[in-house]
This record gives sequence, structure tokens and C-alpha cells, in this order.
Amino acid sequence: MIEIKNIEKYYASKGVKHYVLRHVTTSIKKGEFVSIMGPSGAGKSTLLNILGMLEESTYGQYEFMGEDVTTLSERKRIELYRNHIGFVFQAYHLIDEMTVYENIEAPLLYKKIGNSERKSRIADLLDRFNIVAKKDLFPNQLSGGQQQLVGIARALAAQPSLILADEPTGNLQSVQAEEIMELFRKLNKEEGITIIQVTHAEKNAQYGNRILHIADGVVKDDVQVG
Amino acid sequence: MKLFGTDRVLGKVIKVLMWRNDTGQDLTVTGVVADPPTPQSVSFNAMMRTGEQDKDPDHPSNSHYCQVYARMQQTIDTAALNKTLLSVYTDFKKASFVKREINFNDFYKDGKTPGLKTLSLKDVHGNPSFQISWLEKLKPIIGITAFLLLISVINFVNLATAQSVQRAKEVGVKKVLGSYKKQLVVQFLLESALQSIIALFISIILIELVLPAFNHQFNVELSFWHNEQFSGILLQLLALFVLVTLLAGFYPAWILSNYNPVSVLKGNYEKGLKGVALRNILVIFQFVISVTFIIAIGVMHKQTEFINNKDLGFERGNLINIKSNYEKSFADKISRIPGVEYVATTTQVMGNAFNVPEEVTYKGNKVALNTVTVSMDALKALGVKVLQGRIFSKEYKQDTVNTVVLNEAAAKLIDKNPVGKNYQVKDGPKNHTFQIVGVIKDYHNEGFDKAVLPTLYKVTHLGGSSNTNNLLIRFNTENSSEAIKKIEAEWKTLYPDYPMEYITMNSEFQHVLEDNARFINMIILFSVVSVSLSLLGLFALSTFVARRRTKEIAVRKVLGASNVQIVNLLNKSFLILVVLANLISWPIAYILVNKWLQGFAYRIDMPVFPFITATVISIIIAVLTVSIQARKAAVRNPVTALKYE
Repeated sequence: MIEIKNIEKYYASKGVKHYVLRHVTTSIKKGEFVSIMGPSGAGKSTLLNILGMLEESTYGQYEFMGEDVTTLSERKRIELYRNHIGFVFQAYHLIDEMTVYENIEAPLLYKKIGNSERKSRIADLLDRFNIVAKKDLFPNQLSGGQQQLVGIARALAAQPSLILADEPTGNLQSVQAEEIMELFRKLNKEEGITIIQVTHAEKNAQYGNRILHIADGVVKDDVQVG
Repeated sequence: MKLFGTDRVLGKVIKVLMWRNDTGQDLTVTGVVADPPTPQSVSFNAMMRTGEQDKDPDHPSNSHYCQVYARMQQTIDTAALNKTLLSVYTDFKKASFVKREINFNDFYKDGKTPGLKTLSLKDVHGNPSFQISWLEKLKPIIGITAFLLLISVINFVNLATAQSVQRAKEVGVKKVLGSYKKQLVVQFLLESALQSIIALFISIILIELVLPAFNHQFNVELSFWHNEQFSGILLQLLALFVLVTLLAGFYPAWILSNYNPVSVLKGNYEKGLKGVALRNILVIFQFVISVTFIIAIGVMHKQTEFINNKDLGFERGNLINIKSNYEKSFADKISRIPGVEYVATTTQVMGNAFNVPEEVTYKGNKVALNTVTVSMDALKALGVKVLQGRIFSKEYKQDTVNTVVLNEAAAKLIDKNPVGKNYQVKDGPKNHTFQIVGVIKDYHNEGFDKAVLPTLYKVTHLGGSSNTNNLLIRFNTENSSEAIKKIEAEWKTLYPDYPMEYITMNSEFQHVLEDNARFINMIILFSVVSVSLSLLGLFALSTFVARRRTKEIAVRKVLGASNVQIVNLLNKSFLILVVLANLISWPIAYILVNKWLQGFAYRIDMPVFPFITATVISIIIAVLTVSIQARKAAVRNPVTALKYE
């Protein structure tokens, strides 16, 4: 599904290049659950952003679903977001002014899904995540774990084939974190959704089936688990 | 000085002619007064004292009206003075009535009272009685200026509260360090005071720069530094400064100092930001003013166009009016000049209309009509359009005796087809009968604020030597200046010392339109300022909102929103405000503009077009303004906004 070759990312300041990523080459197959690990400032988030096409690499090649996306037109990228990629954030990033229901509905509106289809999908998601009762609440009326559930529901609404999660449990207590990771594993196993997450915690990484260790912008280790 | 080209004029002799065939009087210059720098109530080029009451030998019966000025020895109570004066005047009147054998009580029986009063010169100058007062004329301008000031204040409040987010941290820290709320309010008020004092100085500089252009454009003479009421103006400015500071500064200062330090320092003050509703109301208010202005311009433009292209009822080209009475011998001489088609006189022509009311009896009904005395050729010279019958002509002997021509308004009043019919005029015990021979189209002789009166036109039996002070000359040549020169030469031989004054009907027409044009110019200027101020406010507000919603925009982009969708999203929230403002301003504009239109006797129906145009314009410029900011926000990389800090 994902092929990256010799990805490099650096920021030039005063003629000096500050490398964030160097020669990252890897491939991720459909249905994998990959955890990117490493100390702070290692370049994990940058790599995830590049994979999510939120940032462009300075050098290297990136193929997504057999298509070269190293440089991508705005329009193409929006198409990918609408149909193939779902994002989950550490700070949830729900829209404060909208209810739970409306938050989940937003990507479907952009995808131009019909009214009845939209309703049934949202109802389905609310049901699955046990948040039906909360659908008319606003994000700041929910606990962190519930907000992240909504965040994941929103990411799933468009039925993506890939979920990119940046420290999805970083703001959560351990019990809630476990619930979220369990959910990820279920999604990966039962629905075959490819998941790439960035995490600090070894424990979270164990939920996946592959771990990429990164340090100083270089992939140090690539291990299969489970 | 203009006369002599030098300021050493004492003892020089000027010949003064009071009227056309006055032989003149030699007068010696005995003094020169300095011209005051400001406009005068009583302006004069020269002052003379002859000790006699002047009588024009042509019209010995003319009354002369004059104003009486008196300087008091000390400040006195005008009310008391008026009382004394009135009793003296009433006594005098009674005495004079006895002489003229009129019963005093009879004369004043139907509600009339003898009247006389003094006015202080200051009042007369600032607010002349017996005409539309200055205050009345200035009212719309004062209103408009107040609105402009209000818009600016609103902008300030809007921006200051919007910016307050950035200062919230400062407030939080200061509060934690033990600052009183009052101290914070004072601090922020002082800051806005500083800003408005800077604005005050800039405005003084601008006045200095712009005033000459303004004076030129609007044909007025305003001065700032040399103004006699300079101290008064300074006081006003000071008051304005305090007012603006409080108006603009207090609300933001209050909002800012009210921040809860805990939530501010925690970093989620943006959520707790209140006053969004208030800001929206202020934006609506601004746009109501702007849209009203745009509508007003549209309607005024249409009305002006209507007037400019209006059929005056007479041909204004190639027609001049000499300030003189009709005199047969002179008229005959002029009419022989090549290029002159008609020479005529009338008591009613644009620029100098003198209307005499008369009551006529038509088929037993009494009708009040306006009478205009003309010479045989006057209607032809004016080039009026004949609707029925005929106009006066030399071929009909009785035209100088008992025939009249009506205008359309009069015909409407008495009879649709009046030609050939008679009416009676009572003159004491006798009844005069006149025959109506024709109906002409109404022609304008006054401003468009007045309707053309129902009028009957009569040829004077004197052959037109009446006291009209209008001598109309119609040319049938393109080169009228040549003919005018010849007329002037004729005039010189007849009245060697009296200057000939004339005005073309074209310039008279422009003169009639002038006041109105000035008013419209002013409205246009003000509305340009108002619209740009409102847009400035909207621009700043959209910047603020775009910044406040950065996170939301980033999230939406990641969810697959395109840039256009983001821009639309931001536009929508402002568009609602603008549309709302439009809805509010329609009735307001309708009422105001209708009031303005009521001032014209000849006016257009309220057009719909300017309303729609104003709405479309306001929406387009609002969308453009917001889109600039919204696009900036939309193309920003979402990563920066989504980073967790």
C-alpha cells in the first residue's frame, strides 16, 4: 500500500541543514498495524505527516496505492483525504462549535454522501462506539476518552483504508488508553483497515503487528510482533 | 482697490448710478475699511450716505425696504426691548392709519398682528430669520458626520475586542500579580486615549491639507486656524476627544480587565471569548449605514438624471435675459440686429419670477390663478409648446385687450378644453371678460422643488413697458456672442454709464441645479468614506475570525474540505450579517430617500433598482473582503495548527 524510498527531510537555516529524517525506506502492506516509536524529536511525527501528505519530503519518493504522490496536486490530495485516509490526533481536534453528531457527519458532507446513507452510517458508528446518548453534546461536555472515541468515529465515517494516528492515547488515562488501543486492534483485525500510529509507549505498540524504531531521523529497527 | 489698482484712493471720485437712466452723482472716497476674513451678514463694496431717500423716476411708487441696525450701549435684554419697540410701533401704526383713514382694528381683525422685533446680530448671522436657517440646511450633514464618527468608533471597539485575545495573557499575569481591576481599566483607557490623541493630531494636519480642496469642491469658505471661533472649535475637539476615548475605549477595557486569570493562563481563553454577538451587531450596524448611503446615491443619481433631462417646457439654449425693463424703442433697435429673433419681456422666467395671484370666475366657479404679464413675443421667445389653440400674435388685435393663454396646470384646474371660452375678473363693481385662446405646456420658472403654478398669461395693454426687469432675447444664430456684442453697443449709446447685465438661460438652469448637485456630491463623498470604513472593519474582523478558527479550518481540511469550501464557510458567517444589514437598511433608506424626494415637486417614483444594486454591491465587496482573509487561512498548511503544544 505504501512504498517510500530514501525519504529525507531537512530544514535549512543559515546555510546549515538540520535533518529531521534521513534515508527512510520502507513499505507498508495493506492490513498492517504499524507503530512508529522513538524518543522525542526523533522525527516520528514528521514521518507520519509525510505519510499523511500533510508535509512534503525534501527528497525521496513516495508511492501510495501504486501511485506516485511525491508531489501532489491540491485536488488529488483532497480526494485521498475524502476516500482513503482518516486522521486521529492526540488533542482530538474536534470542532468545538459542533455536536458529536455533526462532527462525525462533517467528512461525509465533504464526501457528498446522500442524506439517508449518511444517517445510517452515523447511527451505526454511534452505536458501535456506545455514544448514542452523547450525540447532541458538544465536545467540551465529554471526557477525554469519549472525545477520542468521537475522533476515531469521525476518522472511520468516510470508510478509509488507512488510519494515521498521532499519539492517539497521549492525553488519556491508562484505562481509556487501553480501550482505544483495543478498538484499533479490532478495526485492524476485523475490518482489515491499515493503521499507522505514533506512540511513546511500548505497551501501546504491542497492540500492532509491526514496530518501526526511529532515532535521529533514521530507522534503527523494524520488528514484527505477535 | 479693484477699481483703482492702488490703495491710495482717498479723495478720488466715483460716479454712482442708482438706476438705468440715472444721470449719476459724483462721490468722493473718504475712507477704506479692511475686508473681514469671514463671511458677512451685511457685505458691501462701498457705503454711501446721501441723506435722501432714493427714488427711481421710472417707478416713483416703489417702496424701499431696508434693515435697521442699532448698537446698544451695553448688553440689554432683547425681550424687554422688543416689548417697548412693539408698543411704539403699534402707536405709530395707529397714528399712520388715522392719516390714511384705515381703521386699526379692522386692519388687524383677522388674526394679523402688528409685528416688529429686534434680533441680536449674532443670531441673525448664525441663523438668519425669514429663510431656511443654516441649522436646517446643515442638519443632514451633521447627521452624516455623526454616523461616520460612530462607524469609526465601532471599528475601534471591534478591533480592540478582537485584539484583546493577544493581551489576555498580560491581563492574566497582572491580575495574578495583584493588580486591581480598576487599574487595568485605567491602563486600557489611557491606551485608547493615546491613540485618539494621535488621531486628533493627524486630523488637524489633514484639515490643513484637505480644507482648501474641500472649499474649492463644495464652493464654501471654511477656515480652521483663522476661524473666529477657534477657541470654541478647540473646546469641541477636546470634548470629542474625551467622548471618543470613552466610547471606544471603555468597552474593550472592561472586557479585557474582566478576563478570568485562571482560564487565561491555562490557555483556553479563546473559548471564553464573549462579545461575538455584540461585534456582529456592530458589523450589521456599519453595513446598514453603508448600504443606506449606496441606495441614497442610486436614487439621487436617478432623480438628478431625471431633472437634467426633464423637458423644461421652454428652449433654454440661445436665450439670454438682460437685467432691464422692456422699452419699446430699445427693443425695436435690438430686434433689428441680425441674429436676434425675438425681443420680449415677461414677469415669469427662470431666475426671476414674480407671481401675481388673481381670482377669476369661470362658469360661476371662483378659481385662484397666477397671473403673468408678457409682451407679444414672450411665449415665442421662450419657445413654449402650444397644446391647444394658439399663442399671442400681432395679427389678432384683441390680444392686447382681453385674450389670455393658460398653461396646462391652469387648464387642468378649470376645464379640459378651455379654448374659446370666457371667464370674468371682478374689479370693484365692474366685471372684465377675458377670452381663452390657447393652452401651452407648463414651463419651469423656478427650482424643481416647486410645482409649476396654474398660470394665465396676459399681454399688457401698455405694449410691454411694465416693470419686469427681464428682457428676453432669443437668437436664431449659432454665433450669439456676435449679436450680444452688438446689443451691448446699442446699450452703451442709450445708457452710457450704466452697465448691461445679462445671464444665459443655460447658466441660469445650472444655477438652479447647483445646490442640489452640491448636496449629492457631499453624499457621495461621505458614502465613499463610510463604505471604506465599514470594509476596513469587516476586513479586520474577518482576519480575527479566520485566526480564531484556524484549528477548525485545519481539521476540516484534513477531513477533505477543499479551499473553496473553507472560503465559503467563512464567507457564510459574514454573508448572513451583510444580508441582515441589507434587510434592515431597505426600509430606513426608503424613508430617508423618500423624504428627500418629497422636496421635489417633480420627482421620480421610488426606483427598485438602486436597492437591488446596493445589496448586490455590498454582498460582492463583503465577499471579496472576507475571501482575501479566508483564502489565506484556507491555504495555510494544516500541520502547524494541529500540532499539539
